[in-house]
Amino acid sequence: MSDVSATMDLRRRDAADKLRGRTRYTADRYLPGMLHAAVLRASVPSGRIVRLDTSRAARMPGVRAIVTDADAPGMMGIGIADHPLFARDLIHYDGEPLAAIAATTLAQAQAALAAIEVEIEPLPAALTMADALAPDAPLVHPNWRDYEVLFEGGAREGNVAWEATVVRGDVDAAFARPDVEIVESSFRVGRQNHVALEPRAVVASYEDGRFHIETSTQAPWGIRNATARLLGVPASQVRVTVPPVGGGFGLKFDLGVEPFAALLARASGRPVRLVNSREEEMLTCLFRENADIRIRSAVTREGEIVGREAVVLMDCGAYGGEQIFLTTMTAHTLGGNYRLGSVRLVSRAVYTNTTPNGAFRCCNGVYNTFALERHTDEIAARIGMDPLLFRRRNVLGDKDLGATGQVFQADVLGPMLDRMDTLRDAATMPPGRSDGRLYGRATTVGTWFVFVGPSAATVNMNADGTATLVTSGVEIGSGSMMQALPQIVASTLGIAPESVIVRAADTDAAGYDVGVGGGRTTVSLGAASLSAAQEVRTKLLKVASDMIEAAPEDLVMREGRIEIAGAPGSGRTVTEVATRAQALGGPISGTGAFTGAGVPAMPGCVAGHFIDAIDIPVFAVHDCEVAVDPETGHVEVLNYRVVQDVGRALNPRAIHGQIQGGVVQGLGYALHEEATIGSNGRVCQTGFETYRVPLALDVVPVEISLYEGAPSMGPLGTKGAGEVPILNVGAAVACAVANATGKRVQELPLTPPRVLELLLDRKRDLDLPHIAETWSDNLVRPHKTPQGNA
Amino acid sequence: MALSLTVNGDRLASTADPATPLVDILREELHLTGAKPVCREGFCGACMVLIDGKPTPSCLTPAALADGCEIQTVEGLATHGQLNRIQAALDASDAVQCGMCFPGMVVSLTHLLTTRPDATREDIRAALTGNICRCTGYERIIDATLLALATK
Repeated sequence: MSDVSATMDLRRRDAADKLRGRTRYTADRYLPGMLHAAVLRASVPSGRIVRLDTSRAARMPGVRAIVTDADAPGMMGIGIADHPLFARDLIHYDGEPLAAIAATTLAQAQAALAAIEVEIEPLPAALTMADALAPDAPLVHPNWRDYEVLFEGGAREGNVAWEATVVRGDVDAAFARPDVEIVESSFRVGRQNHVALEPRAVVASYEDGRFHIETSTQAPWGIRNATARLLGVPASQVRVTVPPVGGGFGLKFDLGVEPFAALLARASGRPVRLVNSREEEMLTCLFRENADIRIRSAVTREGEIVGREAVVLMDCGAYGGEQIFLTTMTAHTLGGNYRLGSVRLVSRAVYTNTTPNGAFRCCNGVYNTFALERHTDEIAARIGMDPLLFRRRNVLGDKDLGATGQVFQADVLGPMLDRMDTLRDAATMPPGRSDGRLYGRATTVGTWFVFVGPSAATVNMNADGTATLVTSGVEIGSGSMMQALPQIVASTLGIAPESVIVRAADTDAAGYDVGVGGGRTTVSLGAASLSAAQEVRTKLLKVASDMIEAAPEDLVMREGRIEIAGAPGSGRTVTEVATRAQALGGPISGTGAFTGAGVPAMPGCVAGHFIDAIDIPVFAVHDCEVAVDPETGHVEVLNYRVVQDVGRALNPRAIHGQIQGGVVQGLGYALHEEATIGSNGRVCQTGFETYRVPLALDVVPVEISLYEGAPSMGPLGTKGAGEVPILNVGAAVACAVANATGKRVQELPLTPPRVLELLLDRKRDLDLPHIAETWSDNLVRPHKTPQGNA
Repeated sequence: MALSLTVNGDRLASTADPATPLVDILREELHLTGAKPVCREGFCGACMVLIDGKPTPSCLTPAALADGCEIQTVEGLATHGQLNRIQAALDASDAVQCGMCFPGMVVSLTHLLTTRPDATREDIRAALTGNICRCTGYERIIDATLLALATK
């Protein structure tokens, strides 16, 4: 219901101020009388708090407030409420908060931290998943049974925080068939730091009995609700507003520093700013989790996958957090891409005494796609089939069943592989290569999804012909709030996109929203905005119909006018109609709401899942070529190509920007980004000297083709486009390096020392003794679903 | 003794400790928050300013070393409200995403434009080694720089 295309080449309205240095991010905010806060953190990975005395610190110069566990009685979590704000009796990880101080200056706050007297009795720690799953492992949460369960269905026991399973079909029978090859592969990946350039930051005030939290977040409603839980106050007492966010990538989807500042603001009666230092961000950033993976497949000589089983261990760190939810994703990522005759998967979120992990762009998907695609190449090699041909024969197509039994619609991956062939064939042949390096190329596929869920929008039609869009959406850099959303409203109302004012997120002004992440902004907030704009359109057309004396269905809205179709220049301006409407019946507004449709899975297939089937699948095909230096182990990416399923591209140039940026983040993950835990339980990489992110000299221009037309329930046929570009980068680089070297790539990142070990055959085959040989021995509870079948 | 700083043409006095990082005086005293203290170790370039015309990470510069110098921050680069050449090119190229690195990028590239009018794509890449961007994957920033170089 619009007369103008929503596809536009709209520039970002926030760019000029960002380029002038005028944009005030949360870390740049400054309020009169504002105090500065700092957080005291534990320096052991496991222990018991014997004494915590803040009386001396309270007398230090400039100190206005000190808060500790006594001030924050609640517990938060996703699925399981296992996480207090401050360590409560037990220390679960190095870096865990113990107390927070607000003082007149930051230096005074930091000096006062040093005056807090802490006595901790060290306890045994489980620093790795192998430690945590050992028979005699110390329990990270000795009282795990007592925690409040917020979402039913996951199996739990001891250091297994959550277990999700998928079983479809008779896998044992498939593996017992005489005509199959059994292919087994194991993989391990490390942690990745988001390195959002703006650290987590907050300015909190306490006004009229309510908290006002200005924060750098992706999920204002999540912050509102989690802060209220921790503080033990009604959620309605927390207002969250969000200035421009200086990078998120998933880091800011979960709660960060907000409750510390809120408590200190209430205690001191002054606004309080808390900004994490880079070192704090490096040590406690809610990393993309490290994971250990084993996949086995039963495949016929003709290349049919008759059975597949996998065990995926995801390190959640000291608290369950996002990983509990993300166990769900294995079904749709590792269980994606290909038709499977039968399948069983288990994903386990494992507690360790390490800093908690969290969400990061294409959570879970990045490493499961790496594992799946390397495994796929190992299958193709075993049965002697070209890996591209094997993929072409097996990729999910129209009416195929996914791992959880959902029925996929339309052939998408097949035509995307064809599109990639065309791109690759059109490229100019590289010059002759005689530099002694090893060259390899690979094409990989990936399955991701749009994390739909509830969103709300209001559109207020102003008498001056502009419209104000009010949502809880946040601009984190992707541009969805600056481009896609105003484009959708503008096209519906036939006004210029510049005439759509986009209200910054404020939980007091707009309804509930899940948050900006999971590729959902254009889809969920876009659908709510479209529906709100359509209501405004209907109301305007009704008023215009009386003014113009024509039926509403004969009218069009374009170029700021409401006119009789086919008669340009007839009718009235939108401003005239909006003014008239305001005088007759009051200002016009419209509201919209959206959530996922709930595509069904096959009954009995899933247990412990938060999402049984994916409402909007998103597919990606990546292709890259690498050169490996046999002397140094250095991998150079020579070229990179992406065919991405976008549904419909509302702003192709903006999507291209997301793809280039997402691929480069993926190149960092594939080649050199890794946070590791030392034997003391602390993250070893404290800054940019030891944690290397991609620089301008490292990258290549990505050749991009947007695949439009796949079915989507998103508004105007859209799918999220900003999250998925990182999905198969690790996979594509790993497969290309394996092809170049002829070696078995089982780990990321492919740092020069690791590649040299492979080349020199000094790398032992990856051994994962904490994954049991028999699939079912890995489960704390046999696969059981609420329906009780299977 | 008070420090005397000339920032974007204004002479300003500060009583801060002479060892205070320049970025903190700019941000906390002068409320010029364009320069971002992202790493405070000189790796990321988000706090870059021009000191006597030379790009310098303000996080590693004790304020006393800038005493008496001409300091130009990103806020001082747009004249009469008009974006300068590189700012306009970055805007036109839809290069900006979260924007945190851009103040530093703009300072580094403004300097490149004035000192290396013949810079090639590879020269620009090399010149950006001290400026980290986590969103864009750099290519569009490089394209915009070439566009700005071509716009005389």
